[in-house]
Amino acid sequence: MIMKKFIQISSVTLALSIASSAIADVNVAFFLEWATPNQVAKVEKSYDSALGEAVNWTNFDTGVQMTEAMLSGDIDISYSQGLAPFINAINANAPIKLIAVAVQYPANDCVVRDGEGIDSSNAAELEGKAVAVPLSTMADYSFRMMMRSLNIDVNKINIIDQAPADAAVSLADGNVVMACGYGANSMAKMYEVGKALMTLEEKEAAGIISFDVVSVTEKFAQEHPDKVRTFLEVTNQANLEFAASQEKIAVIADDAGMSVTDAQKQMSEFVFPSNEQQLNEYFNSGGLADIAIKVVGNAFATPENPALDDYGVAIDTSFLK
Amino acid sequence: MIVSTLTIVLVILLIWSVYYGRNIVRTEKTDAVFGNPSRALRGWHWVIAGATSIMLLWFYFSWDIARAFIPTSGNELCQVAKLNRAVNPIRANFPLDNRLLRGTLLLQRDKEQIQLLQQQLDKMNFAPDESPELRSIIKAMDGVLTAQTDPAKIDPQIVAQFDNIAMRISYLVDQMSVPNYPGKPDFTEQAQAMKQSDWGAGTIELPVLPMTDRGRKFAAASLVMHQIAKDYMAIRNNGATITKQLAEIRTRYQNFVVRPVEDAAIMAQHKRFIRQIDKIYKRIDDGKIFPPGLTQAVEAALIRLDQEQHRQQGTLFYIDALIMPGGTIMAGNSACSEQGAGRWLPKPSDTFKTFLRLADPAVGYKGTPLLWYEMRPVAEIVAWVIPDWLPELMPGEYPRHNSQGIIVNNIKSKTYNFATGNYNSLSVPFPIGHIWDSVVRVLAGLLLGIIFGVPLGLFMGLSRFAKGYFDPLIELYRPVPPLAWAPLVLTIFGIHDDGKIFLLFMVAFAIMVISARTGATGTQLSKVHAAHSLGASNWQILRQVILPNSLPEILTGIRIAIGVCWGTLVAAEMLAGTTGIGFIENVARKQSDYEIIWVTIILLGVLGLLFDLIMRWVIARAIPWRGKG
Repeated sequence: MIMKKFIQISSVTLALSIASSAIADVNVAFFLEWATPNQVAKVEKSYDSALGEAVNWTNFDTGVQMTEAMLSGDIDISYSQGLAPFINAINANAPIKLIAVAVQYPANDCVVRDGEGIDSSNAAELEGKAVAVPLSTMADYSFRMMMRSLNIDVNKINIIDQAPADAAVSLADGNVVMACGYGANSMAKMYEVGKALMTLEEKEAAGIISFDVVSVTEKFAQEHPDKVRTFLEVTNQANLEFAASQEKIAVIADDAGMSVTDAQKQMSEFVFPSNEQQLNEYFNSGGLADIAIKVVGNAFATPENPALDDYGVAIDTSFLK
Repeated sequence: MIVSTLTIVLVILLIWSVYYGRNIVRTEKTDAVFGNPSRALRGWHWVIAGATSIMLLWFYFSWDIARAFIPTSGNELCQVAKLNRAVNPIRANFPLDNRLLRGTLLLQRDKEQIQLLQQQLDKMNFAPDESPELRSIIKAMDGVLTAQTDPAKIDPQIVAQFDNIAMRISYLVDQMSVPNYPGKPDFTEQAQAMKQSDWGAGTIELPVLPMTDRGRKFAAASLVMHQIAKDYMAIRNNGATITKQLAEIRTRYQNFVVRPVEDAAIMAQHKRFIRQIDKIYKRIDDGKIFPPGLTQAVEAALIRLDQEQHRQQGTLFYIDALIMPGGTIMAGNSACSEQGAGRWLPKPSDTFKTFLRLADPAVGYKGTPLLWYEMRPVAEIVAWVIPDWLPELMPGEYPRHNSQGIIVNNIKSKTYNFATGNYNSLSVPFPIGHIWDSVVRVLAGLLLGIIFGVPLGLFMGLSRFAKGYFDPLIELYRPVPPLAWAPLVLTIFGIHDDGKIFLLFMVAFAIMVISARTGATGTQLSKVHAAHSLGASNWQILRQVILPNSLPEILTGIRIAIGVCWGTLVAAEMLAGTTGIGFIENVARKQSDYEIIWVTIILLGVLGLLFDLIMRWVIARAIPWRGKG
C-alpha cells in the first residue's frame, strides 16, 4: 500500500517534471553590463527565428548563479559564464559542458590605492596588507596569476572576500590597499582612487588573459544538438556582422544597460573569436583555452573537489564545426 | 556500517519514543484541563521522536540509507545511466518523453517560418520582377519539406538505414536478455574495477567502471548503443531527388542579386530577407524530417529496449524510485554523479566527515581553524582596551633612525608601543577561529542592543516625551531589512568587525526597545500604586516594580534578538569576508561545495539552539513566576 503510494507520488512528480520541460523553450542566461554583439541578435530575435522557437533570456549576477540555475534545469545555455565558476562547477562534478568561447578580454584588474606607492615594481609590499578580492571568480584568478608572475606569496596577503561594488568602497575608504574586481561601474570607481597594478601589456606579457565561455547542460546538448549548433551559428554571425560594422552599438548598449560610450569602451577591449578561430587557436592542443582551463582548474582545486586530470571531458567543441 | 547501524538505532528509538509517549498519554492521570500550560511540561521522549525523525529524513533524502544498505546500487545505477545516456539522443526524437515526434515539431516550425516568409514578401516592396522569383523559391522550399515527409519519395537507402538501426537495437535487446551477456569479464578489467574506491569514499563521487554482473551488462549495452545512436544521428533525409532539388534552390537564391534601391533601410531589409531564406534553407537541408511511418520500427525497438532494461534492472528500479528519492544518478562524459536531492542535500556521514576535517585546527577553512586557541601575549589584549591616540598626547616627536641605523625609543614611541601591545609580556591561550569570531560578533551586537535598547525602551514606556520623540525614529528604521543597511555600513565603518557588529546591533536594538517598552507599559497599575503608597521613590519603583515586571518581555526579546542576529550574521559577513561562519558559507557557495554549505547551516543551527537553550535556562532562573501570576 505504502509502496504503491510512493510510486504514485514519484510518477506524479515525474509527470510534472516532464510537463514543465516540454513547455519550456530555449532558456539562456546572460549578464547585464557586459556588451556582446549577440545582443543585437537577441533584440532582433534572430535566435528565435533561427531556432524556430522562443528564446527566454534571463540575466544573472554571477556565473555561480548560472551554474545553479543550470543544475536545477531552468537554464539550458549560459552565454558568457566566467571560466572560473564554470571550472568550479566542473571540479564539483556538475553535468555541464563548455561548448565555445564567448569573449576574450584582458584579465580583470587589481587596482592599487593612490598614495600607497605600490606598483608592479615593488608589489612585494602588499604582503601583510589587506586586499579585497571576490574569491573564486575570474578576478580571483587574475589576482593569483598576477601574484604568481610578480613572485608574491598569496598566503602572506590578508585577503578579504568582497563583491566588486563593496571592494570599490573599501578601496576608496582606504580599508584595503588594493582591490580586484570586474564590472564597468565598480572598476570605474576603483580607477577613480587608484591605478591598475599591472598594465595591459604587462599582463599580456605574463600570459594572463581571461575569457568567458558558453556552457550548456549535458542533457540539453544531448537532446538538442541541432539547437546548440544553431545557437552558436547565430552568435558567430552576430560577431561577424559586428566586426564588419559597428552601427548597432546603440542596440547593444541599450540591451546591456550601459551608455553607448561605456559599451564602446568595454567592447574595444573584447575579442570575439569566430568559430573557426576557436577551433584553430583556442581549443587546439596548446591553444589559449586549452592552457587557461588547466591553469584555472588547478588554481581553484580544493581537497574535496580536486582538479580533473583532463578537462577534455567537460569540453565539446563539435558544435562549432 | 556506522550509518546502517545508526539508521537502525534511530528507527528503534523513533518507534520506542512514539510507543512510550502514547503509553503515557493513555495511563497518565492528570488534573490539568485542556489549555493548562502544565500539560506541555516534560515530554523529553517527544524530543527524541522529533530529533530522530529529522535525522531519519536527512538520512533518507540524502540517499545515505541507500548507500549504507545497498552500496553496490550506486555503481549499478551508474551503468544504467550510461545506457540511458547512450540511448538518449535517439529517444529524444520520439514521443516517448515528449508530446510530439521530433519530425512533427520541426515540420510545424519550418512550415510556420515559410508561411511567415510568404507574408513578409508582400510587404517587402521588392521590384515587380523580383517578387515572383522569390515567391517561387519559397514555394520550392515548401515543396521539398513536403517531399521529405512523403514515403513514396524517400530514398530506399534511407529506409534501409532505419531498418538497420531498428534491427541493431532489437539485437541488443535480445542480447541483454541472455543471462551471461556480455560473457566472462576480462581479468584485468575486473581487477581495475575492483580497485575503485567505493561510493563516496574517494574524491570521485561514484565508481564508474562496472563492478557487478548486472552493471557489466548495462555497461556493455551502453557501448553498443552509443555506436547505434551515433549512426542514427548521422542519417539525413538526403536522397538523390531531394538533394538535387535543394541544390537548385540554393543556386537560385544565391544567384539572386538584390537590386539596389535608393533607401538604404529598405536595401538592408531586402538583404535580411535573403538571409532569412538562407536560414530556413539550412534547416531544411539538415534533413531531420522523415515520413512518420519510416521511424516506427525504431520506436518499437526502443520501447522493447525500455521493457527489457526495466526487467534487467529488477530490484534496482525500485531502489532508485524508493530509497533514492528526489533525483537519480546521472552519467556524464567521464564520471557519474548524483543529481537532485542526492546532490544538494549531502549525506550526514559526508557532512560529518567534512566537519571533522574542517575542525582539525591544522586544516581549518582558508587558513583559519573553526575553533581553536592561540597563545597571545597579554600585552595585545591590554592594548585592545587602550586607545591608539594616547601616544599623540605625549610631548615630542617620534624617533628617527640615526647614522648607525639604530632607533632610540623616546617617551612617545614607548607609549605607542604600550598602546599597541608591542612589548614582551606573558602569553595566555586565547580562542580564535571562524566560530569564535561569529560568536563574538553576535554577542557584541546583542550586548550593545541590550545596553542601549532596554533603558530606552523603559524610558519610552514611562515618559510621554521619550515615547513621542523616539517613536518615529525607531519605527522608521525597524522594518528595514538588515541587508539593506549593508552597503551604508560598509562606507561608514569599513571592513573590520565594527561594521558587522553595528549591523547586528541595529537588529537587536529595535527588538530590545520594543520589548522593553511593551514590558514597561504592561506593568499593572495597582502594583505601582501600592509601591507608591508605601513611600517608594521613583528610582525604587523603576528598579523594584517596573523592571521585574517587564523582565519577561525583555528576556523574550533577547531570545528573539539572538535568533535574528544569527540570521543576519551571514549577510553581515558577506560585506567583507575574512573569517566567520557566514564567510565560509559565502565562499563555499561560489565553489558549489554543498557539503561545506551544509556544515555551516548546521553549525548556525546548533549555535542558535545552544544560545536558545541558555536563554531558556536564564528565563527559568530569572523569572520563575512567569505564567503563574
